[in-house]
Amino acid sequence: MAKESVESGLTWEVRANSCHYHKPKQKKSFLCFRWGRYADNLLRSYKYSPLTFLPLTLFEQFQRVANLYFLLMMVMQCVPAISSIPWYITIIPLITVLSVRGLKDLANDMARRRSDAQINSRPCDVLVSQSFSTAQWKDLFVGDVLRIHKDQVIPADLLLLCSSEPHSLCYVETADIDGETNLKYRQALSATHNELTSHPSEEALAAFDGVVLCEEPNNRLYTFRGQLHWRGECLLLDNQHILLRGTVLRNTQFAYGLAIYTGTDTKILRNCGKIRVKTTRTEKVFNKVVMGIILSVLLAALLLAIGSGVFSSWVMSHTGVLTPLVVGGNPIYTGFLIFWSYIILLSPAMPIALYITFEVIHTVHSKFIGWDLEMYWPQADKPAQARNTSLSEELGQVGYLLSDKTGTLTQNRLLYRQCCIAGEIYGDASVRAEDVEPMDLSWNPFSRGGLFMSAPRLVETLRGQKCPLSIQFFSALSLCHTVMAEWKEEAPVYQAASPDEEALVGAARELGWVFLSRTRDFIVVSELGVTRQYQLLALLDFTSQRRRMSVLVREPEGGLKLYCKGADIVILERLQKDCPYQERVEKALELFAQACLRTLCVAVRSVPEASWEQWSKTLAQSAAMETCDREAVLEKLYDQMERDLQLLGVTAIEDRLQEGVPETIALLQQAGIKVWVLTGDKKETAVNIGYSCKLLDPDTRLLEWQELRQILQSPDPGVSFSKARQTDLWVVDKERAGAKTAVVLSGLELAEFDQRPEWGSTFMRLAEQCQSVLCCRVTPGQKADIVTLVRKHTTSVTLSIGDGANDVNMIKTAHVGVGIAGVEGGQAVQNADFALSQFRFLQRLLLVHGRWSYRRISLFLRYFLFKTCSFALVHIWFGCFNGFSAQSLYEPWFIALYTVFYTATPIMLVAFFEQDVSAESSLKWPELYKCGQRQELSSPLMLALSLLYAVYTSLVLFFIPFGVFYNTAFDYQTMAVTVAMAATFTAIIEVVLVTKYWTKFNVAAVCVSFVLFFICTRITHSTRLFQRSPRDYVFIGASDKAFVNPVVWLTALLTAWTAVLPSLTAYALNVILTVRDKQKVHSASNQPMELRSQMRRGTSLRRSSYALSQGARPGRHIISATSFRSTVPTVDEKVTASNNLTRPLSAFK
Amino acid sequence: MVKQEQEIASRPDNTAFTQQRLPAWQPMLSAGIVIPGFVLIGLAFIGIGVALFVTSQSITVMELDYTGVERTSPCFRCSDPNVKNCVCQLDFSIASLFKGPVFFYYGLTNYFQNYRRYGVSKDDDQLSGDLDSFTSPSDTCSPYEYDSNNKPIVPCGSVANSMFNDTFKLYQIVNGTKKQVPFDGKGIAWWTDYNVKYRNPSVTPLRDAFNGTVKPLFWPRPAYELDPSDPANNGFINQDFLVWMRRAALPDFRKLYRRITEGDYAQGLPAGNYSLEIAYNYPVLSFDGRKKVVLSNVSWMGGKNEFLGIAYLVIGSLCIVMSIIMLIVYAKFKFPEEE
Repeated sequence: MAKESVESGLTWEVRANSCHYHKPKQKKSFLCFRWGRYADNLLRSYKYSPLTFLPLTLFEQFQRVANLYFLLMMVMQCVPAISSIPWYITIIPLITVLSVRGLKDLANDMARRRSDAQINSRPCDVLVSQSFSTAQWKDLFVGDVLRIHKDQVIPADLLLLCSSEPHSLCYVETADIDGETNLKYRQALSATHNELTSHPSEEALAAFDGVVLCEEPNNRLYTFRGQLHWRGECLLLDNQHILLRGTVLRNTQFAYGLAIYTGTDTKILRNCGKIRVKTTRTEKVFNKVVMGIILSVLLAALLLAIGSGVFSSWVMSHTGVLTPLVVGGNPIYTGFLIFWSYIILLSPAMPIALYITFEVIHTVHSKFIGWDLEMYWPQADKPAQARNTSLSEELGQVGYLLSDKTGTLTQNRLLYRQCCIAGEIYGDASVRAEDVEPMDLSWNPFSRGGLFMSAPRLVETLRGQKCPLSIQFFSALSLCHTVMAEWKEEAPVYQAASPDEEALVGAARELGWVFLSRTRDFIVVSELGVTRQYQLLALLDFTSQRRRMSVLVREPEGGLKLYCKGADIVILERLQKDCPYQERVEKALELFAQACLRTLCVAVRSVPEASWEQWSKTLAQSAAMETCDREAVLEKLYDQMERDLQLLGVTAIEDRLQEGVPETIALLQQAGIKVWVLTGDKKETAVNIGYSCKLLDPDTRLLEWQELRQILQSPDPGVSFSKARQTDLWVVDKERAGAKTAVVLSGLELAEFDQRPEWGSTFMRLAEQCQSVLCCRVTPGQKADIVTLVRKHTTSVTLSIGDGANDVNMIKTAHVGVGIAGVEGGQAVQNADFALSQFRFLQRLLLVHGRWSYRRISLFLRYFLFKTCSFALVHIWFGCFNGFSAQSLYEPWFIALYTVFYTATPIMLVAFFEQDVSAESSLKWPELYKCGQRQELSSPLMLALSLLYAVYTSLVLFFIPFGVFYNTAFDYQTMAVTVAMAATFTAIIEVVLVTKYWTKFNVAAVCVSFVLFFICTRITHSTRLFQRSPRDYVFIGASDKAFVNPVVWLTALLTAWTAVLPSLTAYALNVILTVRDKQKVHSASNQPMELRSQMRRGTSLRRSSYALSQGARPGRHIISATSFRSTVPTVDEKVTASNNLTRPLSAFK
Repeated sequence: MVKQEQEIASRPDNTAFTQQRLPAWQPMLSAGIVIPGFVLIGLAFIGIGVALFVTSQSITVMELDYTGVERTSPCFRCSDPNVKNCVCQLDFSIASLFKGPVFFYYGLTNYFQNYRRYGVSKDDDQLSGDLDSFTSPSDTCSPYEYDSNNKPIVPCGSVANSMFNDTFKLYQIVNGTKKQVPFDGKGIAWWTDYNVKYRNPSVTPLRDAFNGTVKPLFWPRPAYELDPSDPANNGFINQDFLVWMRRAALPDFRKLYRRITEGDYAQGLPAGNYSLEIAYNYPVLSFDGRKKVVLSNVSWMGGKNEFLGIAYLVIGSLCIVMSIIMLIVYAKFKFPEEE
């Protein structure tokens, strides 16, 4: 047996109720040694133990290049031969950085420990010697038999042995695993069900001695292979028999299970992937600049080292007093040492404080996002959340917004608004759902409200039982679904896989067809107060290929009925010939589509007993087949059954838009953001939603695949000439078509892109000129592919927004992922960088927070570069006048304190508080956002300009004092203090110029920095410190003399003023030149956008629906083309252009 | 009630800080402020520049190079490094009263006192009178730590070793006889250097503290005999030593040697002929250096400094030019708007 199992890969052995067998094999570890086989059920998401914290955190931190670089600097400073500044100058900031990060990690780790402990101590019932006793999760072992209560979280991967429900069915909610809120059922093996469901079950369970052989622990959530060897039988196990850790038991009183995988072996813990680290575009540019700085520093150090070698050899040949100072009498060796000394001396140009400050600023920006009341959703008590704290400035540069539809643009709240039964249309969708007059349903004890349809006529028909078709229609709605009913307070509460179904079953309930409960074999329905039990013979499930589902039931009277519901196209082609009302139903479908409603066709078929018997036999045979073939065979079988249907009617469900979606999309489009919609839904729905949320204008021309394909194909690929021609062709279109064209693609069509990779860039060039792109019927993978396509062919920042598990992929792929904390579970939010409760909060997130953040961080980076480079590069110029000896022009303490104490706070506060315009204005003038998309503030050019400016400043900082002090009695220390003073003044004046938003904190910070410079300088130059350590405080008395010397002050003042003169001039010119724009902006009356948008919405709805109905029926495309023509602006030229354009289209059709 | 509280549990605080509505001043600058601002600052700078320049002009400076490079120079004879204990005499005349107090500097050029390895070559502990450092000087003093007999050098290091040791005497020639101009050598060093930074060991007599040590190699006398005339001006607190130990910022520098504040010369040096007697010891020609003597009086801004005044004038004028350019730009931008 063992050998066999090894061959089949089933090597994981679990023996029920045999703790003594598993316990010695438990996984244990000491330091890096591990042994044992079975993991315990202890969750250890923490990383550190008291012993490993220090080495681990150091190891992690020194993986960052910057930290390693600074460590290297520090080590170099400890080498006496090259140490140009004392070692403690770098170690203080380095240790600060390391300890701040370390403490942050430690705090996170403690929090993880706490949450681990909380999870580990959750109670569960374990079978111990014939009775269940409460134990904690962490005490579980493989092989334990557990009892799970209703609504309890399952503590380990279990083999379901039996449950309190008939046939040992049980229901689990897998929201934590795949984000799907619908219930799934699991069923025990009939063998264990039969043997173990005796009462009391404890004894039987305690005597259970089965051995499970299964796969080694893996991360495949949806498959399981194994065998249960029990009483000489070998029973096959699959995923249906497994309860995964993290799922929740629902609708089931008790379930008994055998722990197979515990702790880290469980599938969910094997699935905890790591979140990809995202870096922002600004950061990437900045990193390049930093690399550039480092290279320049190396180059400068090299040149200075050469200079030093030359100088040394000159000194040697002239036997001056300095000769003995040439190390080892060897100029080349001296030059070599000087090289390193200069690297140390110039290293403050790339200061360590930058990285820590950058992190702090990001964190604060993230906090601001979380604190914003305007993005707080009181209904769900959820504020916005920045889960990834380092992406805030990327929000200010978004060029492409790729949005999911369901749950993101729409509320995922489906309202049953209309239906068409037997050709009669009930309900009126032109009335807003809130304004619908509620019907009197008091006759129905099960009515709980929530029906936004007013159709007294229908109620009358139903109650009078006048129309058999309508009765069958509602029977179909109450029977054909996968909804579970849970009884709460004497009424059924429905748990549905899809909100569509919930709406349908709910509507049926309101109108008297109440789905009461279901077991595996029976469905109980109360029809107008009469309880009827239907035997469920088969459930032909919904798949995205089939786009329909059916149930085969035996009526209480004995007849067999097949109820089917599905997409219109699928159902209509399966109808029996000469179905009555078909034409009227099709008309109704069109009507519903105009009103942006989702439709489903409902049909019925009476099945003769004989054909059922035959069919069920075949079904039973094929069910036992191999997995891969089974699907295809089943599909065929189902198809056989769903034939000759009789059309009952059509349901129309309103997919409600989220609040403020049209306004938000309009605003984002004004801000220059391309909004694309990617949805798994069908094309008509997507286009429909596109119109209703103002993504598309009423006169927008839809560019569909055939035409797009022609354009993409028109040039022979690879021939540059035709490429140019093709661009020309498009340019002709552009004027008229560009802004008013939307591309509509479907998943199948997108698949063609895989085969023609060269289309990608052409398509993107096209798409850039289009108003929008709608992709329908796309899989999660394709959503991510589209994001990749955009990322690959444009330089823009992409933002994906979605709410469901199917959006996770695209959220992870985009530069910025936003998750809507909505109905569809938390999967999207878990993987997103930002979590919002409402789509409309996006406008504030991007236009206000993103814009501000981008501006603040750009200002911060540029200023930081400026202040550190200008201050450090002085040493290059000084080097030319001190024999290239790596002599510092500053007091060592000043170098240490300058970046952190004297100049850090004001710019940090700018990075916290700066606002060029208020939040309201940011939203009022979305055009302001374009600055970030064009990278106006953080482009490499801007950073290079800052660097150039820093070089200029460093020249000024050195050469003006040089001119003053040359050939005078002023000593080195006085000059050092003067230059330090000038550098500090320059940095402070510069930050004053940068700050446009002066809060009291900014004012205080500037004053404090200014004062701090004098205080700290006095302190480090004080007698007391000198007496404590003469070697570290050599500048004793320097500031006493310097601060009372008018020449020092005048020099510092002149130097600082000259240094900031260029930026001051630029600032002044900017003031003068932008005065007009500002006046414009301010004088522009606050055009009420709502008014404008509402006016447009009125027309847009009608137009859009019209266009959609054309889109839905390809045959009538020509009509739609004419309609477009009439809406084009009445300039003759353009009309002709449009005529020309529509011609090939209609010809194609 | 409890439920309601729970419902809004995660509602963010509505404070000015969290909502980013901190009251703030947003300066709305316009051309009307910026251009006059530039003009004003430019004028202020020009004003300072003029004041500095005028002050600087009022300062008299006399610079005498006595390196002896030219054959005609009286010190040419002494510039040969092989000549020891050479004294040369430099005659000069002053046309009108050289207003006092007159400061007497010596100046060196092309002398890199700011060379790093030179600058760190001293022992601050030793110089602050720590006797332990007398017997074992810090290794920063290398290569002037120990002499060839492995005896510690006190004061150790390059800076001390290379101390300037030319001495000067100034005579006024009155009716053919030399009348010595009295020099005031007190208080020419920094107060903190004299009182805090450099301390002699508290051993009397001072020379006992130097037992077992040797004088720096270039020095003619040990540290405790630097000033034979004044026993208090010896050791590490010798004024000339302190002045030398305060490193110069740049390769061309001056250092204060004496002040002329006493007797007949308190008001300055009267017009007449003078003779400067130089004990020429310090070699500079080997590194193309020059030695100078500088006589200067001072003003509120210290010594003569034309650069600063001129720089202020240049930058001030630049500001004015800028403001004119801005005015033109502004006019160009403004008038089309009005049309």
